[in-house]
Amino acid sequence: MVKNKKKKSRIRRYRRTTQMAVALTFVLVPWLNTKQINLVHGNFLCFNLASIPLADPLAVLQIMVKNGYLSQDLIIGALIALGIAFCLGTVFCSWICPYGLLSDLGQTVAGKWQGKQRGRAGNRSGFLLKLSVFFLGFAGFLVFSTTPVLNQLSLPAWYSRIFQFIFVQGFLSVAIWVLLLVLATEVVFRQRFWCRYICPQSVLLILAKQLNPRRLKVGFDPGRCMGAKGDKSPCARSCNLGLDPKRLDHGLETVCTNCGNCITACSNCGKALTSI
Amino acid sequence: MDTDQKKGPAFLRPPGARTEEEFLARCLQCGQCAQVCIFDCIHMHTGFNFFLSGTPVINPVDAPCHLCMRCSAICPSDALHDIPIEQVRMGFARLDREKCYTWKGLIICRSCFERCPLKGTAIVLDRGEYPVITDQCAGCGVCEHVCPQSAILTIPTRFVE
Repeated sequence: MVKNKKKKSRIRRYRRTTQMAVALTFVLVPWLNTKQINLVHGNFLCFNLASIPLADPLAVLQIMVKNGYLSQDLIIGALIALGIAFCLGTVFCSWICPYGLLSDLGQTVAGKWQGKQRGRAGNRSGFLLKLSVFFLGFAGFLVFSTTPVLNQLSLPAWYSRIFQFIFVQGFLSVAIWVLLLVLATEVVFRQRFWCRYICPQSVLLILAKQLNPRRLKVGFDPGRCMGAKGDKSPCARSCNLGLDPKRLDHGLETVCTNCGNCITACSNCGKALTSI
Repeated sequence: MDTDQKKGPAFLRPPGARTEEEFLARCLQCGQCAQVCIFDCIHMHTGFNFFLSGTPVINPVDAPCHLCMRCSAICPSDALHDIPIEQVRMGFARLDREKCYTWKGLIICRSCFERCPLKGTAIVLDRGEYPVITDQCAGCGVCEHVCPQSAILTIPTRFVE
């Protein structure tokens, strides 16, 4: 049992390490660029990793639809992002996104501060709300605006842009306060509002993962479950997004980001949850 | 800023930028152009305008564009064309002959002529002495930056196209 616990909590350690590394990368990249080291550059909307393009699929889709053209780099960049989502689910949100990291840490802090009791997010997945933000923004861009508005709703992009502003031109953007405000709201209400209900960038990733029925996801074996029912079970309490991992089949799987917290929690009591 | 925007934005875009509307529709606001600029002349637009935030601008008084065209080559979404520097039309430099040392007859200055990346085509010397800006001007702003008298103003005419 002890050995197993060690092994399983590795998921969380690997995840935190990846998240931290990515978050640090986007601080270091603009700083390195000011030192004339230009091997990597860009932000979360479009990134150039030693000439491997990576791009936010939503940003690419927006300018593709508006201008009716295809750019090889952007297509490759977007397909890499969508391909990862297709195979592994929305791991971008739980393993890479720096806002995901901040929001995740915020929930941990809130948990220590307010105790283990968590406000439930209910059984609605929140995907429809995301989808409406997505379509409103898209329609707004196509009809009224000249710039891709949904890009401005990307919190990871703002995270990286804040550091671009600071290092490239020595300017502290007001966006940092907006970011902290959203974060503070989430800590106070103990729910990850942005990730669950708003973030339009995740919509395409979620759609991509839905296309693959054999993607990586959390599986539940009711026969092995020995935890308490409902909200009090260790797995439900460990979920940062406020999901009940036992009932992911009822539409909530769209929200799950494969962070692995529930699997870690469950490894101590029955191992009913596994990644499949 | 608001009054300027009614007439057209009062800032230069990097070389190779398309017309303002087309440029904004294509710009991903990824900031790669600002990061590869070795002259640090491209800045990402700051301020409260939600729509323009993160798009690249050049202020020739702080740092002018030297037409190295790295930004246009790197632009992933083709908001900046990769074109030869002779075709660049970021704006147009306007010389105020009332202020210019040479035109006023004080000294022979030639700062703008010597530093112009398109020396001899964009700026020519009238009668071998007096700088004249021709319609080949790329609008890079180097002359505005070096002019000791601030006699040159670069106007972002690209918007008129």
